[in-house]
Amino acid sequence: MIRYSLYVPGDTWLHRLHPLTKLSFSLAAAVIIFGGPGGWLAALLPGLLALLALWRAGLFRQAARTGVRLLAPVTVMLFLIHGFFSPQNQTTLLRLGPFAIGQEGVAYAGLIAVRLAAVLAGSLLLVFSTHPGELVQALTNAGVPHGLSYLLGSPLLLLPQMAGRVQVIQAAQQARGLETGGTLPRRVRALFPLVAPLVFSALLDVEERSLALEVRGFSAPGPRTSLREQPDTPGQRVARRALFVLAGLLLAAGVALRVYGRH
Amino acid sequence: MAVIEVAGLTYTYPGSSAPALKDLTFQVEAGQLVAVVGANGAGKSTLCLALAGLIPALFHGQMRGTVSVCGLDTSQHAPGQFAGRVGLVLQNPANQISGMRYTVYEEVAFGLENLGVPRAVMPGRIEHALDQVGLAELHDRSPYTLSGGQQQRMALASILVLEPAVLLLDEPTAMLDPAGSQAVFEIIHALVRTGTTVVIVEHRLEWIGRYADRVLALAEGEVVLDGTPADVLSSPLLRQIGVGWLRYTRAAHLGQKRGLWPDTQALPVTLEQAVTGFQQAGARPPTEEQLDADPR
Repeated sequence: MIRYSLYVPGDTWLHRLHPLTKLSFSLAAAVIIFGGPGGWLAALLPGLLALLALWRAGLFRQAARTGVRLLAPVTVMLFLIHGFFSPQNQTTLLRLGPFAIGQEGVAYAGLIAVRLAAVLAGSLLLVFSTHPGELVQALTNAGVPHGLSYLLGSPLLLLPQMAGRVQVIQAAQQARGLETGGTLPRRVRALFPLVAPLVFSALLDVEERSLALEVRGFSAPGPRTSLREQPDTPGQRVARRALFVLAGLLLAAGVALRVYGRH
Repeated sequence: MAVIEVAGLTYTYPGSSAPALKDLTFQVEAGQLVAVVGANGAGKSTLCLALAGLIPALFHGQMRGTVSVCGLDTSQHAPGQFAGRVGLVLQNPANQISGMRYTVYEEVAFGLENLGVPRAVMPGRIEHALDQVGLAELHDRSPYTLSGGQQQRMALASILVLEPAVLLLDEPTAMLDPAGSQAVFEIIHALVRTGTTVVIVEHRLEWIGRYADRVLALAEGEVVLDGTPADVLSSPLLRQIGVGWLRYTRAAHLGQKRGLWPDTQALPVTLEQAVTGFQQAGARPPTEEQLDADPR
């Protein structure tokens, strides 16, 4: 079976956690990683916690595979750009003809790469163990307007439909002689005939999609109910608040350190 | 009692100079199965949107006249107030998947959740709706793994579960095979017997001839024919507006010219009527080659 969504069905402790608890962790981790004090430590700790959670839930392998695919090209570019061209470069690590790789640039690229990996681990923890619909439902139950919840979840919700459409368009274009494989320039050339129909058809579908939601009471007045209960515990509610307080405090500390640390 | 009342409805889409619907006036009684036929662009889908309460609220075009469904004036009530009372199944099943739920069972529950139906009531209604469309065995599958026809049946179940008093179907069998189409029409027929009012846009005239109580034919946004399937589906006007006739009707019409079908007998609109008519006339129906020689 083709799996278009990042969600991995399961019944692990991570799956059973309330979606808002996982969302809170992901958001708090992102704030701490980029805004907290301590540089490497602020990036490593939340990232390692996320990886530990993924490992305990049996999702580490999938997460690692996805992470490497997403981050490998970005990381290579980061090291190349900062290693060779960072204005902070003063100590030469390696000289390649007229070019020199600077230690400061490599260290900075490493920090950014670790930060990106840590944020990604926190995000994968959420999307691997939470169906987008559950997240939307949890947000709605928490008082977020239904339309806004749907809008927030729609990138994940519509992923399967977009993936299916890509396959159809690709097959249609290949049937008309478009070569979508082979060398990089050829793949890049094939991109426009794939992307343009994808975007236009998605825009055309928006109307019918919204009509289909409306006739099923998407904007119906009155309270909503849910088929499945989303178990929540006092402990998780406290943990969510604690995460936001911690993130706020560390962000404040990080900002203060940056501002006053310069003087 | 009229459950749908349309009076002087004229509607023009934003940015268009020609109205999509022109001065439509008709009523539909509760428990009727009304089929709407017409060539592409005749206004059939627009009529469905108007009856579902989505026009004018979501389209902001120019509307004159009134549309009242289940006692609610569509220009005075938001679309959300029609959900549950009026159900609409659209042509493209993929666009009717909410994406909000992981299984077929949960997808069907989506509308119930939006309408605040108590959780305890949901399983019974969901299982009944899935049974009706023959998807009970696929309840734990992902909606995205279903075939086009199965997705269309799931879309139908997602509306049936809301138990609407008025069911609007815009080409619901477009992606179904003949057996699937027959199953859908049998479901519709059963619903009509229990008092549901159904308005269906459908190109497959054989099903209309067999199941509909009444047929409206639209051309360029106007109702040009309104009557029983026997009257409308055998009207020469139907051929002029690009809908055409059923093969049985054409066969009998050709037979009339050759003395094989009595002039006094109405043209058939079902296979059974055609067979009986030709048997009574003591003649064999024209061959495929003869029919093909008169493609209209």
